[in-house]
Amino acid sequence: MGRWRVVLFSLLLVHCVAILVFTSGFLLTRTELPYYSHCSDVLSHSPCDHNPNQNQNLSCWTKPAVDRIVIIVLDALRFDFVAPSTFFPEKKPWMDKLQVLHKLASQSSSAARIFKALADPPTTSLQRLKGLTTGGLPTFIDIGNSFGAPAIIEDNLIHQLVQNGKRIVMMGDDTWTQLFPGHFNKSYPYPSFNVKDLDTVDNGCITHLIPTLYADDWDVLIAHFLGMDHAGHIFGVDSVQMIDKLEQYNEQLEKVVEVLQSQSGKGGAHENTLLLVMGDHGQTVNGDHGGGSPEEVETSIFAMSLKKPPFPVPSEFDTSSCNLDLDGRKVCISSIEQLDFAATVSALLGIPFPFGSIGRVNPMLYALVAGTWNLDSHDMSSSQNQLKMEEWMHNYAKVLCANSWQVKKYVDAYTESSVIGFSIDDLKHVQEMYSQAVNWSTNSLHDDGSSFNALKKQIDLYSNFLTSVAELSRTKFTEFDLRKMGIGFGILLTSIILHLLVIKRVDEMYIVDSPSRIKTVSFGLVVSCFIVAARACSFLSNSYILEEGKMTGFLLASIAMLSLRHSIMAKNMISEAASLVFLICILRFTIELGLSKQSSPEVSEFHSWMCVADLLPILPLIILAYLLYKSIFSSSCNRLLKLVITGSIFSYILVALHFTLGSSSLSYMTPSIFDGIRGNFIPRAIYIIGIAQLLSLVVFQFFEEEKTSKWEETMLMKTVAMLSVWSSTLIILSGKQGPWVALASVIGGWLISRLKALDQDYKNCSTGLLARYSSPVTQWSLLASCLFFCTGHWCAFDGLRYAAAFIGFDEFTIIPQAILLTIETYGFSHIFPTLGLPFLVFAYGDSSDKGKGKREIQLFHAYLIYGLIMAVTSTFTVLCVMIQRRHLMVWGLFAPKYVFDVVGLVLTDVLICASSLMYFGS
Amino acid sequence: MKNNQKNNKGTAAADGVRNQSPSKLLLLSHFICGIGIVLSFWLAINVFSISLIKNPVETLRLLWLIEVPVVILIYSFFRKDKNQSSYLKAVARGLLGLPVGAVVNALGAIALGAPVGSRYFLRTLNWSLLMSAFTFVPAASVYGSSWVDWHRIFAHTKPIGFIDYMICIPAYGAVIGGWFGAWPMPLDWERPWQEWPICVTYGALIGYFIGMLASFSFVVHVSRQHKNWKIIIYVCTWS
Repeated sequence: MGRWRVVLFSLLLVHCVAILVFTSGFLLTRTELPYYSHCSDVLSHSPCDHNPNQNQNLSCWTKPAVDRIVIIVLDALRFDFVAPSTFFPEKKPWMDKLQVLHKLASQSSSAARIFKALADPPTTSLQRLKGLTTGGLPTFIDIGNSFGAPAIIEDNLIHQLVQNGKRIVMMGDDTWTQLFPGHFNKSYPYPSFNVKDLDTVDNGCITHLIPTLYADDWDVLIAHFLGMDHAGHIFGVDSVQMIDKLEQYNEQLEKVVEVLQSQSGKGGAHENTLLLVMGDHGQTVNGDHGGGSPEEVETSIFAMSLKKPPFPVPSEFDTSSCNLDLDGRKVCISSIEQLDFAATVSALLGIPFPFGSIGRVNPMLYALVAGTWNLDSHDMSSSQNQLKMEEWMHNYAKVLCANSWQVKKYVDAYTESSVIGFSIDDLKHVQEMYSQAVNWSTNSLHDDGSSFNALKKQIDLYSNFLTSVAELSRTKFTEFDLRKMGIGFGILLTSIILHLLVIKRVDEMYIVDSPSRIKTVSFGLVVSCFIVAARACSFLSNSYILEEGKMTGFLLASIAMLSLRHSIMAKNMISEAASLVFLICILRFTIELGLSKQSSPEVSEFHSWMCVADLLPILPLIILAYLLYKSIFSSSCNRLLKLVITGSIFSYILVALHFTLGSSSLSYMTPSIFDGIRGNFIPRAIYIIGIAQLLSLVVFQFFEEEKTSKWEETMLMKTVAMLSVWSSTLIILSGKQGPWVALASVIGGWLISRLKALDQDYKNCSTGLLARYSSPVTQWSLLASCLFFCTGHWCAFDGLRYAAAFIGFDEFTIIPQAILLTIETYGFSHIFPTLGLPFLVFAYGDSSDKGKGKREIQLFHAYLIYGLIMAVTSTFTVLCVMIQRRHLMVWGLFAPKYVFDVVGLVLTDVLICASSLMYFGS
Repeated sequence: MKNNQKNNKGTAAADGVRNQSPSKLLLLSHFICGIGIVLSFWLAINVFSISLIKNPVETLRLLWLIEVPVVILIYSFFRKDKNQSSYLKAVARGLLGLPVGAVVNALGAIALGAPVGSRYFLRTLNWSLLMSAFTFVPAASVYGSSWVDWHRIFAHTKPIGFIDYMICIPAYGAVIGGWFGAWPMPLDWERPWQEWPICVTYGALIGYFIGMLASFSFVVHVSRQHKNWKIIIYVCTWS
């Protein structure tokens, strides 16, 4: 037995190593640092010359250039929505719709400009908003992410605004209020989950936008329009709905500009206001986004300063390209990285840069607004102009100095405290560039003869440093390590080959022992190989991953129908086979119900049936309790086991009580004695009973005396006890559906173990183990994954039922909550089937093959096959994410699927090892 | 080959079954069944101007309305107990088998994941009637309610003689073809033919044709191996 455990444990180890290596190459991680920037930092630490007696009360790190900012976010704003069609080889129907922006950008009297903004993948709204406000590069998994709630805990622009006394008004997409809870003075959030709804969020924005512009109780206004993103998802870019949206936005923007301009005179409310119209990411023509293709990362920022008169941008830093638009107006377009947004806006408002920002203050956007603060006269001679230019550059150099100092500070802090930091060579290089820039500044800036060229050199040095840091971070945070991914996949593949060899070896061992003629291949083996291969290969396509629940149901139904045919052929157990097909049919409908929850999280309730619906789950509980009662009544096994199972029956009563007390329609009927145990008491009691039962099972394992005569029965009872221990916790976590699913899994498992005896060869033991157990174990594992989807889960993080983590707990503590969530998510699909596998082997066993040694070898073999099926499917998921790593939906679909599968695989391996300790004799 | 068979068409129905060589008979009846399907597609496109993709319900209805009589009339010639039951009785059995087979097929499809709901009711109904014509109706016409024969063909898959092959292999072909035909349904190509039950019907039709071809070549192969076919008919060829 010891050797077997070594095999199972080493498989677990190999899988873990493979997954760790692959994950480190694939799931780019970034550690969130809990540090925040403060105004006072600059005074004490920065090398930049800072004049303390100049405007101390007003300026912080930089001198504020604007007083108020209006940020209008148009979700999924493609670059070609904003730029004139003459910038593109071909005019498409959706171009040139935002005419107001063209008009403003072309007028020389207004300081307005169109920027091509480059986003960093993953281009999903949440990650992009995070990137825009923190100035960093959010990855798929940011370590330190708060559990469940997506709130940003890193230092960010919004936090800095609040810290520095700016008042913020937000309207539109409710993602903002989730990301920054409690940051807004006023907010008008609208739900964003319904993709089919093009107008609710936009209309909400429109209602509040113009009135708010007249109000003066805010400094920063954020309006997030969502309609374009939804229109893209549903209808695509080339659609009437999209054009309608663009025209609607054009109209709204005209109104906004009108209001702003009307009050932009001296002393007006918007005298010194900056208007930003921007997208968070682009979209493909089909409306998809998430990946890194040019269409998705290219979005736009339109910036307009209402301060008059505008300041000419120094030509040295002018990187824009100009073109005539269709009306013959000259429109210039510059370029900006979205990474730079947070730093630039912070610099313009004069607040500290967010601690984790690695962006650079963009010269064009900065110059557009910040060039003008002490220019009173518009008519300047060229020498004056030169002087002004130098003054601006001096200013900009100072801003960049603070910027570089902050970025350097972040890089150092990150290297110190993160799990995986930057490499030493890269750090050295960055360090050199930084010291070069700073030394230059100490050498030259303090000279009085700071000339134009010296300043230019200075700015270049800072820019080079900032660019190289951004590039370094990009390779660190956004590029896959193909070598590691390859190695991880290779290890996984090798483990499967080893797995197969072990299975073959055990099979041979078994055959050698048995006297009669042995068949090693059976029809069931061929079918299950085909089914497992089909299921595994289906993971290579995103459509099949999306429909995985239905797919699994289809395959399970197919294999069940084959066994129905088999049972008709054998004229034996036809009713069992038919009820298995019927059960799968029911499961299939619940899977579809679960999938429909995916598209709309609100579950409709039948109000008139409330009372019945609340009490109905008690019925399967009674059946389950009766089954347990029968099992202890009929068997003559150890008292301790019976006690454990009785504990479960008691737990079921508590669960029933919990459901009754928890239901709203029945609450007025329940007597007041129960008030004391409402809420958290019952769940906690059930958890404690569960833990106590587990412990007593462990104790039982230690003091168990070997009785060969009753060994099989004891094993069976042990399995039942084990399952019953987990079931009560699982049922209460799963809520009302819990008892039903538990009953379905018990019935399904029972039917499969009954039907395994269908095989003629099984009865007289004339087949090898592989031929005998492959079919039932495949059915077992397919049923398990069906149950995963039946319980309303799907492979995405919004499919996790976070509410389950708070059953029995009011406040958040990470470890118990994580354990509860894992049990809820993987309970019916991994924990239950893996621990219950001995049931499949021992229940309705054949009479001829009774020896303990033989039965254990069978159990070991069944576990090996079960593990192999899990490993094969997970390996194909790994292969899939490796192939599809540049796919649009890699972050939306493949990566979550990967995480779910890999966690499931490790969990199954761990459980198999635990069961080997539990069930195999010493 | 097809032209040859057309000449035989008139004679086959009138003459008894026994005088013909089995492979020719089998080819002829398969050929007529195939012609029935082709004809109904031709009618659908040219006369009613409907297509399976655009009007699945109407086209499926036309398909089974034509195919069911063809199948029943042909297979009733091969009825098993010729001495006890008349041709008309065999026809009646086939007609009775049609709804039963449809129910079985529809239940199977729903268990496998066919969509349900009022929108799909007519589609599923017509599709299952067509599938019944491929699977149940021929067996019902030939064997009636003989449980032994049904059991032998559909559970054990041990056909004896050419009639068994003729019924069994195309029926399996249609079912397996339909099963594979369901595979493209979840793909996100957004083609109209991915709707239930269009691609499943295509798969079943292709499977049915392949099955007919296979049963024919199988019978030809066996009859060449054993010159004296008449003995083989009553001898188990499958161990």
